[in-house]
Parts: sequence; structure tokens; C-alpha cells
Amino acid sequence: MEILYDYAWLIPVLPLFGAMLVGIGLLSFNDATNKLRQVNAIVILTLMGAAATLSFALLWSQIQGHETYLRTFEWAAAGDFHLYMGYTVDHLTTLMLAVVTSVAMLVMIYTDGYMSHDKGYVRFYAYLSLFSASMLGLVLSPNLVQIYVFWELVGMCSYLLIGFWYDRKGAADACQKAFVTNRVGDFGLLLGMLGLYWATGTFEFALMGERLETLISSGALSAGLATTFAILVFMGPMAKSAQFPLHVWLPDAMEGPTPISALIHAATMVAAGVFLVARMFPVFEQLPAVMNFIAWVGAITAFIGATIALTQNDIKKGLAYSTMSQLGYMVLAMGVGAYTAGLFHLMTHAYFKAMLFLGSGSVIHGMEEVVGHDAVLAQDMRLMGNLRKYMPATSLTFLVGTLAISGIPPFAGFWSKDEILGATFQANPVLWLIGYATAGMTAFYMFRMYFMTFEGDFRGTDTTIKGQLKAEAAGVFAFGPGAMQKQELAATADHGGHDDHHHASEPHESPITMTLPLMLLAIPAALIGLIGTPFANKFEAFIFPPNEVIEAAHEVDLMEFLVNGGSSVGIGLIGITLASLMYRTKTIDPAAIAKRFEPLYWFSRNKWYLDDINNLLFVQGSRRLARQVLEVDSKVVDGVVNLTGFVTLVTGEGLKYFENGRAQFYALIVFGAVLGLVVVFGVT
Amino acid sequence: MDAANFPWLTTIILFPIVAALAIPLIPTKEEGKKNKTIHWYALTIGLIDFALIIYTFCTQYDIHEPGLQLVEQYAWAPQIGLNWSVGADGLSMPLILLTGFITTLAMLAAWPVSMKPKLFYFLLLTMYGAQIAVFAVQDMLLFFLVWELELLPVYLLLSIWGGKKRFYAATKFILYTAGSSLFILVAGLAMAFYGDVITFDFRELAAKDYTLNFQLLAYAGFLIAYGVKLPVIPFHTWLPDAHGEATAPVHMLLAGILLKMGGYALLRMNCGMLPGAHAQFAPILIILGIVNIVYAALTSFAQRNLKRKIAYSSISHMGFVLIGLGSFTDLGTSGVMLQMVSHGLIGASLFFLVGATYDRTHTLMLDEMGGVGQRMRKMFAMWTACALASLALPGMSGFVAELMVFVGFATSDAYSLTFRIVGVCLAGIGVVLTPIYLLSMLREIFYGPENEELTSHEALIDAEPRELYIVTCLLVPIISIGLYPKVLTQVYESTTSQLTASMRHAVPGLTQTKVAKASLYDELQPVLSQAPLKAPQLGS
Repeated sequence: MEILYDYAWLIPVLPLFGAMLVGIGLLSFNDATNKLRQVNAIVILTLMGAAATLSFALLWSQIQGHETYLRTFEWAAAGDFHLYMGYTVDHLTTLMLAVVTSVAMLVMIYTDGYMSHDKGYVRFYAYLSLFSASMLGLVLSPNLVQIYVFWELVGMCSYLLIGFWYDRKGAADACQKAFVTNRVGDFGLLLGMLGLYWATGTFEFALMGERLETLISSGALSAGLATTFAILVFMGPMAKSAQFPLHVWLPDAMEGPTPISALIHAATMVAAGVFLVARMFPVFEQLPAVMNFIAWVGAITAFIGATIALTQNDIKKGLAYSTMSQLGYMVLAMGVGAYTAGLFHLMTHAYFKAMLFLGSGSVIHGMEEVVGHDAVLAQDMRLMGNLRKYMPATSLTFLVGTLAISGIPPFAGFWSKDEILGATFQANPVLWLIGYATAGMTAFYMFRMYFMTFEGDFRGTDTTIKGQLKAEAAGVFAFGPGAMQKQELAATADHGGHDDHHHASEPHESPITMTLPLMLLAIPAALIGLIGTPFANKFEAFIFPPNEVIEAAHEVDLMEFLVNGGSSVGIGLIGITLASLMYRTKTIDPAAIAKRFEPLYWFSRNKWYLDDINNLLFVQGSRRLARQVLEVDSKVVDGVVNLTGFVTLVTGEGLKYFENGRAQFYALIVFGAVLGLVVVFGVT
Repeated sequence: MDAANFPWLTTIILFPIVAALAIPLIPTKEEGKKNKTIHWYALTIGLIDFALIIYTFCTQYDIHEPGLQLVEQYAWAPQIGLNWSVGADGLSMPLILLTGFITTLAMLAAWPVSMKPKLFYFLLLTMYGAQIAVFAVQDMLLFFLVWELELLPVYLLLSIWGGKKRFYAATKFILYTAGSSLFILVAGLAMAFYGDVITFDFRELAAKDYTLNFQLLAYAGFLIAYGVKLPVIPFHTWLPDAHGEATAPVHMLLAGILLKMGGYALLRMNCGMLPGAHAQFAPILIILGIVNIVYAALTSFAQRNLKRKIAYSSISHMGFVLIGLGSFTDLGTSGVMLQMVSHGLIGASLFFLVGATYDRTHTLMLDEMGGVGQRMRKMFAMWTACALASLALPGMSGFVAELMVFVGFATSDAYSLTFRIVGVCLAGIGVVLTPIYLLSMLREIFYGPENEELTSHEALIDAEPRELYIVTCLLVPIISIGLYPKVLTQVYESTTSQLTASMRHAVPGLTQTKVAKASLYDELQPVLSQAPLKAPQLGS
């Protein structure tokens, strides 16, 4: 078994190697590499497969009870400062490895179908592989600095992949917004990291927690300062896991191709924030204020995400807000100390949300046959309907995912969400109430999505709706950091007008490479929750907080479980019924309700106006500040210089007439100055 | 003559200069665009000299030895006490290697130069020798001479091959740098004549026991001189102009090497020779560094001219050098060296790309570009890689350098906690601002729908192999250092830790490095270990 651990470093290195191979090919033999197309995909998939095999073998070995493995080497040193890098394999790592590699593999298979006609097919595979390498490196990291390194690298991959279609203005703005917002979080993470290092002298999680405890209990470090550091560290996860108020990048990130929305912006990278909170648990759990903060941020995020998702019409945006809301649940779980429940939800969510996103991609793929390659039309649910008839595999798997996320037993989401709500109730009933309300909204908006997409009549050929959507898209501005350029307006206006000719009149099911991953993902989405039932919680036996002895399996209070589970299923069913009445049987007219609560409707539809506030405050503000500084620089600082130059010129002209030689004059000044200095300081 | 006594450094310095003198003798058939004789000649010389540097470094230089090595000393003009005295230690060697590397690549980058190639390469080769000399000389008077010697070629390169405002830029450059170098002369002479012995030798100057007031004055003089070069705000306004007008190869040298002279001299003279004054000035350096980072990042963000944007980003990055200088920790000082080398590589690659892009778009205004990523994919890829390197992405050298400076300053025991917290927070703003302006820049050049105004009359051909090769050459060390920083840090570590020790020695109340405790926990360790760690567990 030991040899398996000695070669665990291959897990991130294999996909990295694949990415480098294809990347070098693209840079030096562009045409030839692009022509090979699927050969590249096969190479990358094979390497990923090898990494996945290794990961599952490690998971198996950890389940068998192998102890934690750690291997490091000195990476940087100066004086008495030594920084080690390396890799660690423990329960949490292997769990994440298994989730990441399995989802990544399936997404890569799916990509072959989804991107088959894209001219960036090969480049996309290279990026995917690079991302997988960074993400796997992140979960293997033994200390905070290494996590920070890979943290930024996954951010970079996310940047590259969101901006994959770089000729689209939306993608260009979104990728920059994502990177910059994440950098704001990383700014906090860096400061917090430095602060904790200053206090504890280590970057290792367990040691850091231990020393912090000693420091606080001995009074050497005030709890307030420690809390500040910990909250700064938490800013990193806030940005990466799209927590309020740093969540604004995630919905925009949907500009990227759908496979990466599934892999990066639903299953893996956004969950890295939760992973970091889990790693930092030894530090956070000693600071009640921090835990409270985390729990509240999570709850607020879950709530905001759900309220916005209620009114979204873009299928991917809707899913993005749902992701934000689910991430809020995970963070909430971490905050109330339900370590296991949070990570359990991370795992189940990774599978069902990846499947939902891939399903939405399949839907978009089908819609594009009808409405053309225009994201405004192809992703809007108002143009869909009755797709169940045309895309049976997609609709069935989407339904499984919808049931899972809505918390209907025995699907995966029920078990994990119920565990979180149960733990939250014990910690703080107010937080529980928020989470509970969110669960109802989740069921509602997910089934709204399902009904609008797969039930009713097909509306894809309705030209009036198309016209209305186009008008809406032209009127709404992206408030990205780049909404300032003049030529962009014109570009949006004439976009989409180019390929309105001969499309199919009805969508078709996607190819097998796309439906197969969907079906494979449906299995864990439906069943994986069963490993964490309260009756036989195998998951908890494997994943538990560090420094904590597993309690003897406590008796399950059947009554309590039924009350908890029953109530959450109950609110889920209310949401589903409501969605069904509004969008399936059309007994209630959603438009009338929107009219009745118009301000609320627009508040939700416009995402709580957070993008506009950010734009006004930060984007425009920083622009203005920068322009003013430049003004000062060119007018004042440089102005003084030029003035001096001018004065010198004038006086030089004057001096010319009574000085016979400049060289001597300068020499005299220099000599005089030196003499003066030496005399003054030589004497004293 | 055996290898140990061979005058390696002198040869390395003089070889390109002598070779430059031979350029007028080279027969050129006709002054045509095709004629590349001069180019090949200069490139060969550059390569030979770089090979010599590598050979010397590998065989004659011991990285574990903190002191001066490869020392040569000959009396040149004994009447005025001028000695030809060269040597290399951990501060010099990495920068000499960097100079050889960047200048040779600049020769390759200058391939399209067709106007007066003889003069151009003559100046480039002269600069080659003069730049190395700046890093190698160990004599104050000689230092002043080579400092001036390296200015002249830059002045000519700017004023003959520059852009539209080249005379203004060149004049500004020469006035600034020549004016500031007067301070070197004054302060240097004052130090030389101080006390009983008149000497120009660096080591003897460092050994002199100056009074604090004298140190402060000399320090201020040096700070102005090197602050112009680095540059330190508000002495920076020559740089955007000079950079804005220079051609790509000159750019590479300006950003890659010339700015580093400021940092090098600050380390060697201000920190090494005047530690007493340094202890007083260090907080000012930290503040100046923070101002540099934030102020220049903001101006860079507002700039619409591509060259000036990158020029301001250079200023911003040099702020880390200042913070590291003032940190009084091994890590901070080490970060200074790393940041200089790292920025030398990254700055050179970015400026080279600016030049290559200008060759295609014939405009530097960001408003006139946009959407060129479709036509120039390799350029796009290279730009992205270099911009990410510049915004300190982990895995690239810039990140390691900034992290070392940050950790060094944050754990420095020379400052109060409040000062450090405020300082780190303010400098950290740069971490957010840098990606904003660099990624905005990328977005405005490459992303978005194609700009038909531009594509209709410019042939936007993709990068040629030569350009790809140059950028790859620069990226290889950037990534290698980023992945395993010890590659570089071990070269200079023995010298910087010695320097840090002497700097710390001058600060009253600071313990020596070896026993210094970086963290609060280590500091309290002796106390804590006596007290019971945890409350005794109560039996249940």
C-alpha cells in the first residue's frame, strides 16, 4: 500500500502533464494539433483516468483505516524561515479526490459532445486538464500557503475558461469580474494568513489551531485580534464559494461553456471554499465569533441565492443562484459546527448539481438547433417547454437532480440537507428558520425550472417571445468592469442577427457522449445519500472534525428524525405544489403574482440590485480615483518637474553671460559641497 | 594562466565593449533591410559573453561564500586614487546573470531594427559591458564612472530610435539621472574623504565608522540618486516618458536591468555601508514603498497608453523592493533580490510584447484596439501568461517575491504591530489593483468582437517563431523560480543573510537573526512551556 502513497503526487501531475503536452502542441504546431482533435481528448482523458484510479485506490485504502500520510520538502528558506510544500493524504483529501476526479472525468466525456463543433475544442481540453491538476493539487495541500498557491491557480483556470469565448463581450467582462472579485477575497486570505503566521509561526492547520489555543488561553493574543485574522482568512472562501457579498461573480461566470459551469462553478472549485473552512476548522472552532460570522454569512447567502433564483429566466443563471444558495447551506453547516454535514452536502451537491448543469447544457445544445447559437435565446426558459418529448434522457436525469436538490427522500440531497437543518436547529433556531424557508424556495424554483423547460408546450418557434427577449437583452447592460466602451453598444445590437436561417423546428436529444455522463451522474445523485443516513452513518464514521474522537454510534431518535425530515419534506412538497400550480397546470398566473408584488419581483429579478451598487460604488469609484491620481501625476508631479526644467533653462541662459565655463562651475559646486560636508562632520 | 587567477569579470565587462569598437570595421555590402551581418555579429558576441558569465558562475563562484569573490584590483589612475576594482557577491551575481540574459535576448529582440544598425548595436554592446560593470565594480569612483557610462547609450538609443516625443523623453531622462548621479558623487566623495584614510574601496568605506548625522546626510543623497533610478515616487516622472518613447529592445533593458541598478545600489550602499542611517530611514522606505505600489497601480489603471501603463506597473512592482529593504528580516531582504530578478524577467517580457504588438497594430492607445485576439492567438497566449506572471500568480516568480516581502515585513520585529498591520493592509491593496489594470488591459486589447476599424488596415499577423522563442526564454526562468524558488535564493542567500545581520545590528533593541523569534508563539515559547499548557482535565 505504501507505494500508492509514495506516488500520490502523480494525481495532480498527470493532468498537468496532459495539459502541458497539448498546450505545447497548440503553441508550436497549432494546425496539426487542432486537426488531431479527439486524439488530444483521449490523451487527456486517459491521464485523468489514471489519476482517478489512483484517487479511488487511495480512498479505499483510507476507508480501510490507513493512517494519514504526509510528505514534504523545503520549498523556500531564508534565515530561520522555512516553508515546506508537499502533499498530505487523509480522509478529507481522498474524499475530495474521488469527487473531483469522477466529476472531471464525466465532464470531459461530455465535453466531446458539447464542444464538438467549436474551433477551440482542443484548447478547451487543455484548460480542463489544467484546471483538474490545480484542483487536485489544492486538495492535496498540507499547509495554508500551498492551498493559497493552488487557490489562485484554480482561479486563473476559472478566468481562462469563463473567457473561453473571448470574442463575446459578456465573457470578457465576466472573466475579469470573476478574477478581480476573487482577488478581493484572496487579499483577505493573504492578510489573514500573514496574521496567523505572525501569531503562531506556522502555516500548518492543526499546529496553527493548537498554538492559537495556547496563545489565547494564556492571554498573549487577544481573542479580538485572532477573530479578525480568522475572518480575514474566511474572506477567501467567501469569494471562492460565492458567499454574500462577494458572490457577484458566479452568475456572470455562466458566460463560460456549460461543461465548466458544471465542473468548476458547481461541483469543484466553488466548493474549495468549504474545503478550506474544513481544513481551517481547528482554528475557527476556537473562536465562537468567527463561527457565528460564518454561519450567518452562509445563511444569508442561502437565502439571497434562493430569492434571486425564484425569478430568473436564464436556465444557467437560475442554476448559478441555486449553486450559490446550496453553497450557503454548506457554509452554514460549517458555521454551526456541523463539519460532517457540510462536507456531506458538498459531496452530494457536487454530483447532483454537476448533473443539473450538464443537463442544462444538453437542453441548450438542443435549443441551439432551433434558435441558433445565441446565448440570449438558447438559454432562456421562456422559449423552452415540452422538451421531455424531444429529450427523454435529459429530462429524466434532470428530474432526478431536481428531486435531489429539493430534498425529497431517498434522493441524495434530502439526507445531507436534513442533517444540516437538524444541526442548525440545535445551534440557533433563527438560522434554522432561514434555512428552512430557503429549502421551500429551493423546491419551488427548481420545479419551476423543470416545468418551464420540460413540460407544457414548446415555445421555441414563437417569434414574438424571441423579439421580446432580444429587446430585453439590448436594453440591459452588463455591469462588468468594462461597461465603458463605446463600440460595445453597437456590437450587442447587431449580435445574433447573423444566423436566423434554416434551423430545425424542434430540438433533438443530445449525442450519447453527452447523455451517458448524465445517466452515470444520476446514480450518485439518487443514491449516494444513503451512505449518510442517520441510521447507519458511514459517512460520519469516515469524515469527522480533526482532533475529535468519534463518539460511539449514538442511538437515533426516530421521532426526532421523523419530525425533522418530515417538516423539510413538507415544505419541499409545498414548494413543488406551488410550482406545479403556477407553471404546469397554470391554475395560478405567475404574472399576476409578479404584478401584485411588483417591487419585490423586480428586487429579485435585478438580483437585489447588488451588481448596480457594486458598479456604482467600486467600479466607477475606482475608475474615478485612478483618473484623479493620474491627473495629479501628470499635472502636479510632472508639472513641477517641467517647471523646474523651464526655470533652469531660463537661469542657464542668464548664467551663460557671466560664467565662462560650465564644467568648472559644476566642479566648483561639487567640490564646495564635499568640502563643506567633510569639514562639518569631520570636526564634530 | 590558471583559471582561478584569470580576470573573469574584467573580461566579461570589456569583451562586449571591445567588440563594439570593432563594429565600424565590419564591411557591409549595402544598407538594405535584408542585411543582417551586424545583427548576427552582435548576437554572437552577446551569446559568447553570456556563456562566459555562466561558465564563471558555475566554475569560479561559490554560492556558500557570503563575501566578495572573483576579486580583481589594479591601480588605474593612482594620482586620483582610482582603482579598477571588481568583484561579485550574492548581491551582484544574480543581477550579472540577469543582465547577460536580458541583454542577449534584447539583441534578438532588436532583429527588425534597420535604421543605422551599426550604431544601434554599438550602443547595445557598450551598454552590455557598462551594465555588468555597474553590478561588479567595488570602487566608489569607478562606480560613478560606469554609472554615467551606462547612461549615455540609453540617451542616444532613446533620442535616435525613439518615438515622436523622443527628444523630450531623452532630455528628461538624462537630466533626471545625470542630475541625480551628482548626489552619488557628492555623497561618495564625502564618504571617501571622511576620517583619516582616503579610500574609494567599497569594503573599506563600509568599515568606516561614520557619525550618525553624516550617515543620514549621505544616506539621503544616495536615496535621491537611486530613488530616481528605481524609481521612487515622486522621482518617477522620467520613466513613463522614457518608456513611452523607447523601442522594444531598449525597453527590455530599461525595465529589466536599469531599474534594478537602483535597488542594487540601495542594498549595497544604503543598507550595507550606512546601516545606522538605514535604521532611521527604514520606516520612510516602507511608506514610500506602499505609496509606490498603490499610487502607481492607480495611475496605471487610468492610463490609456499601453506602454505607459506597463511603465507604471513597473513602478508599482518596485514598491515591494522598498518594503523589503526596510523589513530587517532575512525573508524581506531575500524577497528584494528575488523581486528584482523576477521583475527583470517579467518586465522585459511585457515590454517586449508591447513592442511586438505595436509592430502589428501601429497604435498604443487602448481605445483603438480591441478584439485582436482572433487574429493573434499566440500573441494572446503570451500576453496572458506574462500578465498573469506580473500580477503575481502563484507558480510564477513574482508571487514568491511578493510573498517573501509580505511575510518578511509582517513578521518583522523592528516595527510596532499597528504599523505592520496598517502597512500590510495598504500594500495588500496593490494585490487587488494589479489584476484590475492588467486584466482590463488584456480585455481591451484582445477580448471582445473584432475591431474592424483596426483590422481593416492593419495586417495582424500572429507571432513569429523568433518572438515566441524570446518570450519562452523569459518564461522558463519565471516559472522555474515560481515552482522552486530555491533555484535562485540559494545563489544569494549567504550574502543577504549577512547583510540582514549587519542591518539588524544597527537597530537598537533588535536581537541577532540567529536567535530572533519570528512569531508571537516562538517569542512566548519559553514562558509558555513552563506554565501548564491546558487546564487539567476534570475527571468525568
